[in-house]
Formats: sequence, structure tokens, C-alpha cells
Amino acid sequence: MLLGIIDGILTGGVYALMASGLTLIFGVMEVISVAQGIFVILGAYLSYSLEAHFGIDLFLGLFITIPALFIVGIAVEWAFLRRLKAQERIAMSILVTYAVFLIIEGVLNIVYGTNYFALHAWYVTQSVELFGVYLSYIYIFGFLLAAGLLAALYVVLYRTRFGASVRAAMQDRTAASLVGVDVRRVSTITFGIGTAVTAAGGMIYGATNSFNANSAEDLISRLLVIVVLGGLGSIGGALAAAVLMLVIEDVVAVVWSPDWATVIFFLALVAVLSIRPVGLFGRQAARAQ
Amino acid sequence: MRRQRDGKLSRRRYAAGSIALAGGLLLAALGSAGVAGASAAPHKQSPVLIGVSLSLSGDNAAYGQAFKQGYELWADYQNAHGGLLGHPIQLKILSDASSLTQLVTNYETLITLDHVQLILGPFSTLFTVPTEKVAHRFGYALIDGAGGGPEAFAAHYRDYFDVSVPVIGQLLPFAKWLATMPKKQRPTTVAYATSNDPFTQPMIPPAQKVMQKAGIRTVYYKVFPAEVTDYTPIADAVAASHAQVVVLGSVDASTVAAFMQAFEQTHYNPKAFIATSGPDSGSSFVSAVGASNTGGIMVPDQWFPSTDNALNHAMTKLYLKKFGGTLNGMNGEIGGTFSSGEVLAAAVKGSHSISNAKIISWLHGNHTIQTVQGPVKFNSVGQTFGGTYIFQWQHLKFVQILPKGAPGSVKTILYPKPVWGQGG
Amino acid sequence: MVRRIGIGVWSVIFVLLALVPVIEGNPTFTSIGVFTLIFMSSASAWNGFSGYSGYISLGNGVFYGTGAYALTVIALDAHMAPSGDIFWLVPLAGLIAAIIAVPFGFIALRVRRHTFVVITIAIFFVFQLLAYNFSFTGGSAGLLPPTPNWVGNTYNDPFYYVAFAVLVFTVLLFWGIRRSRFGLHLLAIRDDEDRARGLGVKVLRIKMLGFVLSAFVTGMGGAIFAFFIGQVYPQYAFDPVFGITVALMTFFGGIGTISGPLLGALLLEPIEQYLTIQYSVGSLYLIIYGALFLLVILFMPRGLVPTIGDWRRFVRVHLAQRREKVLPAKGDAVVGDDVAGDVPAVTTGMQ
Repeated sequence: MLLGIIDGILTGGVYALMASGLTLIFGVMEVISVAQGIFVILGAYLSYSLEAHFGIDLFLGLFITIPALFIVGIAVEWAFLRRLKAQERIAMSILVTYAVFLIIEGVLNIVYGTNYFALHAWYVTQSVELFGVYLSYIYIFGFLLAAGLLAALYVVLYRTRFGASVRAAMQDRTAASLVGVDVRRVSTITFGIGTAVTAAGGMIYGATNSFNANSAEDLISRLLVIVVLGGLGSIGGALAAAVLMLVIEDVVAVVWSPDWATVIFFLALVAVLSIRPVGLFGRQAARAQ
Repeated sequence: MRRQRDGKLSRRRYAAGSIALAGGLLLAALGSAGVAGASAAPHKQSPVLIGVSLSLSGDNAAYGQAFKQGYELWADYQNAHGGLLGHPIQLKILSDASSLTQLVTNYETLITLDHVQLILGPFSTLFTVPTEKVAHRFGYALIDGAGGGPEAFAAHYRDYFDVSVPVIGQLLPFAKWLATMPKKQRPTTVAYATSNDPFTQPMIPPAQKVMQKAGIRTVYYKVFPAEVTDYTPIADAVAASHAQVVVLGSVDASTVAAFMQAFEQTHYNPKAFIATSGPDSGSSFVSAVGASNTGGIMVPDQWFPSTDNALNHAMTKLYLKKFGGTLNGMNGEIGGTFSSGEVLAAAVKGSHSISNAKIISWLHGNHTIQTVQGPVKFNSVGQTFGGTYIFQWQHLKFVQILPKGAPGSVKTILYPKPVWGQGG
Repeated sequence: MVRRIGIGVWSVIFVLLALVPVIEGNPTFTSIGVFTLIFMSSASAWNGFSGYSGYISLGNGVFYGTGAYALTVIALDAHMAPSGDIFWLVPLAGLIAAIIAVPFGFIALRVRRHTFVVITIAIFFVFQLLAYNFSFTGGSAGLLPPTPNWVGNTYNDPFYYVAFAVLVFTVLLFWGIRRSRFGLHLLAIRDDEDRARGLGVKVLRIKMLGFVLSAFVTGMGGAIFAFFIGQVYPQYAFDPVFGITVALMTFFGGIGTISGPLLGALLLEPIEQYLTIQYSVGSLYLIIYGALFLLVILFMPRGLVPTIGDWRRFVRVHLAQRREKVLPAKGDAVVGDDVAGDVPAVTTGMQ
């Protein structure tokens, strides 16, 4: 039970990081990026390559992989997403990012093959005893990293000029552009940031699970559920939802049955949305649509 | 006015018609491409076309690729040994991208458009059943190396043959070995965690029965869904049960790796650890779990790279020549696929024909066929009951350990399993 | 007049489709044909709800899977002989899928549109997991429906014609809806739900009815699929890719139009199967398929049917302008012609 709660909180932090990117992108751009899952896997593969070929430590490698994914994100936004018209934007964004997903999956299959990979480092296998249970360093480090990055994201959003523009764009794109915010530029950078966080998420995911390009499909459905449960566009909501969902799932898996844990995971979303259609921390829309 | 409109409308009709035609043309192109590659009745030296659909991408891709290696290896081997009745073998491999609809289309394409003379099986029970039905409709013999699940035999088709031993008894040598240990050494507790997969789940109950009888108590038994992504809580619960033996019903190396990692992190070292699938996938397994963790890990299988028979030596030699790498890097599925080819070759030779009807009746003729996996002989529904063996990783070598004293089994068994990180 | 010609074109296509097993009875074609027809009706059904109302569902796999399991479970429980009689279960399976759609819709249709997308995915996974966990579905081992003992060369034909009959029914159904008051209400919801409500449209009831009809057709498709393939497993009956596929086909052809989803499925299903056969080695086909989609989305964002309409109109205006120099102007030929009664996505019938 205790074990389930601790596992849930630690892995929840990492999911929160991956989901925060997704929810931020939605909040600013009204875009649902189903490519988020494959970006995570891309991040994991990049960390693998840096470690395997250049001996770069997984955490140090983030100084390379985070900017790399930031650039990938900007490129995708610039090449495809900004060309979408406001009309049917959400639906079209799902299609575009799904196409990006397929292409990256194909490329990863060709480059890395279909065998499962895992990231190795001393902190992946060594552990420390806390509250009578063993915890691997990677979970603790991963959680701290996720928390640190989320804090940094918070600072950027609430303490900088750029953050103010982002928040303005989240509230109302038209109004923001009227007061002089360059909404296009803000969108591009936001998509870059939302994608860049997957580099860190992917590294931790790759160190705690073994993966191939196909793992992205499992990931994206979970991330979407977390984001919607938290309330689309709400970073705090994504954080709370990620931790809540993983704690529920892990506790159910331990005390009842892993077979039903996943059902509970999805049913929790259905139950919450039946009572609160905007999610836990979602803003009530001014109009239904 | 009306006249002008009509003029326009006929253009419109033309445009829409050409769209419909484009679809038709595509189908036609598909058809002619297939027909062009086909050959009619074989005469001397004309190749024998053998069709296979494999999952070269998608969910089952890791295994699909191993199957491809196995079949290609067999075709090379057989061609170097006179082909089929003097005809060289030409493989026609289509990918189904792990999709069932594509699978059905593929086998129908192979049989009716490419006019392959013979077919071989796809990967896994899930894909075997629909393939069986297509093969049955066209009277083709379907010889397969990885069907195995009970559903594959449910239809009682006479044209289906599985060269591998049915999955249900595969853990028994392991269970019997523990059950017959001297009381002092014998473990007292066991934990089972299995994926709800038709290939793994049926293996657990017979093994559990044997161990229960010998006083090995079940302290944990959980079934987990195949698509779980986070195994940590389940693995932690297994660790918390402090069972001395762990039986993991896994379908791939990734699952085994996740459990092993969680065990290592919690300093949980069971005395024996067996996983139904994954440790037999060679280098893929080593890269997923790390070399120093492989020591002592067990897996049931029929074949391993150093299996001691002449056929296997010839095959592994060819493998190294063709694909490079090391023997321990070979995927366990290669043995099964190669064997399917050998059985097909034996049936062609035995029946002096590449007619499917004759091949089928020869295979039902109680003949014993030698394969790299050992001797094969089919019953009325196409099952074979050869030996099942347990293999173990020892110092980065994959060796056969059980049943004790069986040909090919080594004497040493790593028991208890080395501590994590020290079993390289 | 214009409408009648569009109908004429499609009539020709349908007659050709009906004749496929006669003209080219090769099992490869008829089996691609069965899947294509199933996808044509499933995409139309998806469009009939999601395209008309603007509520994008990625969970239609629920109805497909329910239909597949319904046919199999009933055929096995009733000990039905492996014969064509099992086809009578197809509408029944559709009905069961439609019944499932009621509680599903009741939960999902109350949320906002982008949340709706995700909740349909979540409900989809709940169903797939339930299929794994219940005993009457056979759990992970799945179930094998009775398989008729027909010969290989014509085995696919009955399935083809049943799928074709379902398609004809589907097209008539959604064509009728498109021209009805109910259809107008759905479009009104797409354009402005609050305003529609203000104008007295019973929004939830309309959405629910559309959703249920969509489920009915999709369930029938799933039932034919299960009987045709000869097995149901949780991960293939409740296939996550199904929901995405029908949506992609509709977008490709043109969302919100009658011919869009038909054309999308008619082109994409054979193309996909062809690409997989040709280029699957090394996952190249994923890249080609993805790139193809990006091209379509970027250059024909509204899908084939409306874009072709736009191009033709552009060409015609261009020609007309050129002719204007010679002949007197005639503006009326340009307005109001689109294929087969389709209304372009920008206009609405709610004025």
C-alpha cells in the first residue's frame, strides 16, 4: 500500500512533466499533439545514443537532447501547425501530429530497429532504503528533475515577460494580439517548450522501462487522459491528475489486481468528467464552444 | 443555357468517373504486379515459390524480424542442399504490419495472385488462426513454428501442423526439478505473475499444481493485462512477497527487463527466476537487461543456439556467415522457423511432390522428421510432443539445463541465482 | 439537376462495386473489397455523427468491437451451424452496439468538444480492458465464431455482398439524414451549439440520436469483420487504430460531405494495403503513409471532395472570364454546384 503510493507519486511526477507540455500547447494553441508520445520515445533514443556512443551521462545528455527536441518542436510547428486555419483547428491538429507521429515512428524503426532498448547507469540499478522500502535512485532523481523543470516552467510563465504573453495568449488569442503580443511567435516557442520537456521525460521513461518506437502508443493515451482529467490547458491540473492517476493505479494494482488497475485508471476519468465536464482544474468556458 | 450546362456536366461526369477508375486501376495494378511474379507449373530448375506473411513492423515487429531471419536462413540452407526436388526455393515475404486485415489479404494474395506453391506460417497464435482458415479454404498445408496456443488446434484442421511443442506443458520440467529437490534445498514459496496472453497464461496452472504438491506454497498470483506500461507496482508486490521462486508469464524481453530492474532496485534476489518468453531472444534480451544481470535467468524453450545436433551445427554456422554477430545473440524463434522449413522440405522429399494434398497426407503418415529442434512427429490435429527444455543464462552463455541428464543438458545449474549485477 | 448528376456518378460507382466479384472474382480483390466496403460504411457512419455535429470521436472502435463480440457470442451460445444464417446476426449485432452507445453517449456528450475526443479514447480503452477481463468474452484467448466450410475461390463473395448491402443502407440512411430536419439540427450544433440551443434545438437528444445511429452501422461492420476473419481477440476487435482510421478516411475525402468518407475509404483502404505489401520492409510504409497525409492536410485541408470542387470552380471561373471577352457574362453557372448535395463546410442550413 505504502509502496504503491510512493511509486505512484514518483512516477506521477514524471508523467506530470510530459503532460505539462501537452497541456501548455493546448492552452496556447488549441492544438492536441498526439505526437507527444513519440517525442518522448525520440528523447529516450537520443539519450541512449549519447550514452552508448559518446559515453555521455544520461542527465548531462539532457543539455543536448532538450535543445534538440526544442528545435524539432519548432520545426514541426513552423512547417505544419501554423498553416492550419482556425476552423477545425483541434481536429486538424490531431491529424497533422498523427502524421508526424507515423513518420517519426517509421524513422526510429529504421534507425534503431524494433528490439527493445533500455537506458543504463549506476543510478538505474542502485537504490536507497526509505520508510522501510527500497527506492531506486533513478525514481528519486527523475522525480526531482521533473519537479525542477516544472518549477522552472512555472517561473517562466509567471515571472517573465514572455510568460505573460503566453498566459495572455492562453486566455484569448485575439485579445492578446490586440495588445501587441506576437501570438505566432509565442505559439512557436510554446510548441518548442512543450516538446522539449519530453526529452527529460523520455530519458526517465527510458531508464525506468524498456522501450521501442511502438511504446509511444501506450504513452499517448495515458498522457491525454491525464491532461483532460486535469483540465485542458491547466498545468497545475496536469500535475495533480498525473500523481492522482498513478497513485490510484499503483495502489489498485498492489492491493487488488493489476488486471483491473488500468480499468480503474480510465474509469476515474469517466467518473470525474461526468461530474465535472471541464476536468479537475479546467476553466469553465465562456461558451460551450 | 441548358446546352452549356450539359457540356459542363459531361466534363464533371468524366472527372468523377476517372476518380472511380483510379481506384479500379490501382486494384488492377496490384493484380498485374502479382500475376507477373507468378510462375505456372514448375519444370526443371524453375524456382518453387514459398509465401509467408510476417509482422515486419508494428506490435510484433521484433519477432517478425526474427522469423524472417529464420526462414531466409532455411531457404539458403536448403538451396545449398539441392533445394526442393532440385528446384531452388524462392521466398516471397509480405509484411502484415501486425494487422489482421492485412494478414488475410496477404495470404490470399500469395495464394491466388502470386500463385505460391507452398506457404509457411506467420508469428503467434493470434495470427495463426486466421491464416489456418485461409490455408484450409485453398487446401494449402500450413506448417508453423510458433502457433502453440490451444486455439490453433480448436478447429481440428487436417492441413495445419505446428512443429513446436504445445505451450501448455512447457514449464513442467522446471516445476518437476524444484519438486524433486532434497527437502533441505527445496524452496518453500513461489510467486506467479503472468500476462493475460493466450501463449503464457495456460503454462502457469500445470506448473503450479506440481509445485503445490511438493509443498512449494503460492504466496502471490496475479494476472496483468498485456498492455500494462508500468510494471513497477506489480514487480514491487512480487518482491514484497519474498517468494523464493518467481515464475513470470512474460511475452517479451521488455516485460522481463522491467521486472528484473524493479527486483534489483528493491534488493530482492529470488533463488530461481524463470520467464516464459524474453530471455530466449538473444542479444535483444542482453541489451534490455544489461549483461551483468543475465546470470541464472531461465526460460522454457525447445531450441537454443548450441543445441547439440548435426543439423543445428550446420544452421548456426550458416547464421554466423549470413548475419554475423554471436550465437548467443540469436533469437529463440529462429529454431522454430527453421524447423518449419525443414519439416516442409522433408514432406516434399517424402511425398516426391510439391502438391499440398500429398504433403498433407504424408505429414499425417506417422513419419518422424529430424529438425534443429529435435525429432518431430504429428498427431491427427497437427501437434507434436517432443521434448521441452529449460535454458539458463550462465556467464553470458545460453545453455540447456533441464531436464537433468537429457541430451544436451549441462551439469551445472546456477542455483541459487547469482545476486543482481554479479551474474555476467 | 446538379444533384442528380452527382448521384448518377455515384450510382455508376456503386454498380461497379456491386459487380466486382463478377468482373474480378479473385479472392485478393474481394477480400480487400470486404474491408473497403466495411470501412466505407464505418467512415460514413463516423461522418454521420462526428462530421455533421463537429464532435470528433476517436472511440468508434467501441462499436466495432461490440458488434464483433455480439455476433460471435450469440452465434456460439445459440450453437449456430457454420452457415450463411449467421449473417442474420449482423443487424442484431448493430442493434447491440447502438444500445451500448446510449450510456456511452450519456457520459461523453455532455463535455466540450475537445474533451469529447479524449473521453472517447478513454471509454474505448475501458471496453478493450473489459473484453480482456470478462469471462463471456473468452478473456485474452478470445473466441472463434463458426466458420463456414465454403471453398476458397468464392468464400469472400457472400461477405462482400452483405458488406455491400450494409453500405447501401448506410448511404441511404445518412443521405436521408443530411436532407432532413434532424440533419440540419446536427449541422446547427456543429456551427454554434449555444445558438442552436437558443433556437430551440434539443441539443443532447439530437447528438444522442446521431451517435446511436452511427454506432448501429459501425457495429454491423464489426460483426461482418469478426465473421469474416474467423476470430475475435480483445486487441483486434477493439482496435485503437480503427477509430483513427475512420476519422482519417473522412478527413481525406472531405468531412461533413456525403461522398467524402465514401471516397476516402474507397481510396485509402486499398492504398494502405497496397503500400503495406510493397514497402513494409523497414517501416518505410509508415513514412510514406504519414507524408501522404501531411500533403493532403496541407494542400487540401478540407479533404478531396470539397477541394476538387474548389479547383473545378476556379478553373471554370477562369474559363468563364476568358470567354467573357467573347461571350456575354453568365454568373449563374458558378453558384450552387457541389457534388451530390454536399454543402461546403462553411455554410450552414440554419438560416
